[in-house]
Amino acid sequence: MNLYLPIAEMSVSVILMLGMGASVGFLSGLFGVGGGFLLTPLLIFAGIPTSVAVGTAPAQVVASSVSGALAQWRRGNVDFKLGSVLVFGGVIGSYVGVHLVSALRRTGHFDVFVSLTYVTLLGVVGVLMLVESLRTLQRAKAGGTSSLRRSGQHNWSHGLPFKMRFQRSKLYISALPPFMLGAFVGLLAAIMGVGGGFLIVPAMIYLLHVPTNVVVGTSQFQIIFVTAVTTVLNATNSHSVDIVLALLLMIGGVIGAEAGAAAGERLRGEQLRFLLALLVLAVCLRVGWDLVNAPPDPFSIQPSEG
Amino acid sequence: MAMQHYRRAIASTIVLTLAAIFASALLEAALAQRRTSPTPPPPSAQRGEPRRGQQMPVTPPAAPKVKLDEARPPDTPETVQADVSTRNVAVTSGFTGTEIVVFGAVDNSRQPGAESGYYDIVVVIEGTPSRIAVRKKSRIGGIWLNTRSSTFEGVPSYYAIWSTRPLDEIASEATMIGYEIGFDHVRMTPAGDSELAGSSSRLPAADTGEFRKALVRLKSGSGLYVKDDFGVAFIGRSLFRANIALPANVTVGPFDTRVYLFRNEKLLSQYNVRLNLEREGIERHVHDFAFNWPLIYGMGTVLIAMSAGLLAAFVSGKSLR
Repeated sequence: MNLYLPIAEMSVSVILMLGMGASVGFLSGLFGVGGGFLLTPLLIFAGIPTSVAVGTAPAQVVASSVSGALAQWRRGNVDFKLGSVLVFGGVIGSYVGVHLVSALRRTGHFDVFVSLTYVTLLGVVGVLMLVESLRTLQRAKAGGTSSLRRSGQHNWSHGLPFKMRFQRSKLYISALPPFMLGAFVGLLAAIMGVGGGFLIVPAMIYLLHVPTNVVVGTSQFQIIFVTAVTTVLNATNSHSVDIVLALLLMIGGVIGAEAGAAAGERLRGEQLRFLLALLVLAVCLRVGWDLVNAPPDPFSIQPSEG
Repeated sequence: MAMQHYRRAIASTIVLTLAAIFASALLEAALAQRRTSPTPPPPSAQRGEPRRGQQMPVTPPAAPKVKLDEARPPDTPETVQADVSTRNVAVTSGFTGTEIVVFGAVDNSRQPGAESGYYDIVVVIEGTPSRIAVRKKSRIGGIWLNTRSSTFEGVPSYYAIWSTRPLDEIASEATMIGYEIGFDHVRMTPAGDSELAGSSSRLPAADTGEFRKALVRLKSGSGLYVKDDFGVAFIGRSLFRANIALPANVTVGPFDTRVYLFRNEKLLSQYNVRLNLEREGIERHVHDFAFNWPLIYGMGTVLIAMSAGLLAAFVSGKSLR
C-alpha cells in the first residue's frame, strides 16, 4: 500500500509511515519529549528528502503532544502555569536564537560547536540521570523513600524575585528559573532545529524539582506551542511541510502517544527517569557517532536555493 | 450532560473530516493505480494516425534500392523521427513510477535488417534542471565535518541514456561531449564553491570534477541517473523502440527527450520530443495550495494535527471511563 507525497515528490509505504509515527509517538507520550529528534533521522533513512523530513516532523509532534498532553491532563499531570512561563521564555529564546544563528553561521565552524555542545549536554544529563535513578531504584528496593525532593529544601534560587505558586508542581519558586530554562531551550531549539524536550525534561526534574509525572505533561504542553510555530514557519519559509506525510505520521503518532501515556501511568517516577536516561544517552551516542565515525560516503547532495 | 453531547459532536465531526480526507486520498490512489497499470498501447495507436491495413502498404517497399550505401543518391539523407508513448504522465496519489516507451523510425533507412547494427540510436531523457550543492565531509580533529561544497547550476533532476550499444563504441568522446551524451557529459555548470571551512576560494578544476563525479554517483544511487547500453532495439529496418522506467522519486515537470541517430561515429540526425509529468487531482491541489498560500497551509496543518490529537484523546478518554 503506497501513497504519493505531493511535496516530497515520492511514493511511500503507508504502513511504514504509520509505524514510524506510532513508535515515536509512544516515546513522546511516555517521556514528554517531542520525538522530532528521533523522527527526522528515521524519515531521512526511509528516503524522504532531508528538507521535507525536517519540515514535516514537527507537525507530527504537534499531534502527539496534544494527544499526550490531554491524556496527562486527565490524570492531573499538567501544570499550565509553569508551562506558560516556559512557553513565554521559549518564544523569546527562539527569537534571539534565530537571529544569533544567522550572525554566527558566517564565522565558519559554528555548526560543529553546536553539535559538540549538544552531545556534551546530552551526555552529562544522561549520565547524571542514569546514576540518580539507579540509586533511587536501589534505595526503593531497600525500602527507603523514593522522593526526589526533601521538604523545606532551599537553595540560591529561593532568593530570586517574582515568586509564583505552581500548585500542580507543589512549588513556590521564583518565575525566573523556569523562564530562563524556557529561553535557553528555545535558543538551543532554534540553533539545533530540535524541540529541546530532551533537555527540558531532565532540567525540570533536577533543577526545578518538579515531580516527574507533572514534568511529562507540562513538557508536552509547551512542546505543542513550539512545534506549532515551527510547522507554520517551515510552511512559509521553505515550503517543506508535506501534509499527506504529516497525516500518516500523525495517525500513528496519536495512537502511540496514548499508549505511551497509559504505559507511563504504570511506571514509578524513578523508573521513568531511568528509561529516559537511557534514551537521552542513546540520542547522545547517535549524534556523537555521526560526528566521529567515518561516513560511508563523504559526499552528499542537496538542492540549493537561489 | 450537555458537555458530553457537545464533546461527542466535536469528536465525531473531527473523525468524519479526517476519515473523509484519508479515504478520498486512498480511493484516488486505488483509482490511479488501475488507470496507470495497463501496459502502454502499441505505438501506432498513440500517434493519432488512422491504422492502416496490415497487408496493404501504401507505398511499395524501397527494398531494391537499398542494397548498398551508394545505391541511394546523397541528397536523400537519413533522418530520425520519434515520439513517446505518453506525453503527459499524471502524477496522482497512486503514482509509483511509470514506464514510458520511446519509439521512432529512421527515414530513408539503408539498413538491411533489425540485427545488422548498421545504425546506432541514442535516447537521452533529461528532467528539469535545478541547482544542487554537493558537500564533502572530511576529518578535522577526529570529527567528520562538511568541509567543502561545490554548487552546480542546471543539473538535470533525471537523466537516462538508452542506446543500441555502449556509448564508447558508438562515437568518439569528443562527439559525446559536444552533444552532452553520457554521465560524464551531463550539462551542469559550477556555480560557486565552499565557504564551509572558511576557504571561499574557487576549487581547482580537478576538484570540481571530483564533486561532479560524486553528484552523478549519488544520483545513480537513487535511481535518477540511469543507463542501458542495449536498451534501444530495432524492430525492423527502420523502426526502433526503448522502454524507460521513470522511478517514483522523479521530480515532476517537463522532460526533454532527445533521440540521436548515429552511423560510423557520425551524427546523422536528431529529434526532440517533450514529455511532461504533471500532478493531478488531490496532489495538484495540495501542492498548489502549499506554494500559493503557505501561511494558511501551515496553520491548516497545525489545525489538523491538533484535531488529530484531540480526537485521540476523546476516543481514549471514552474508553477509560
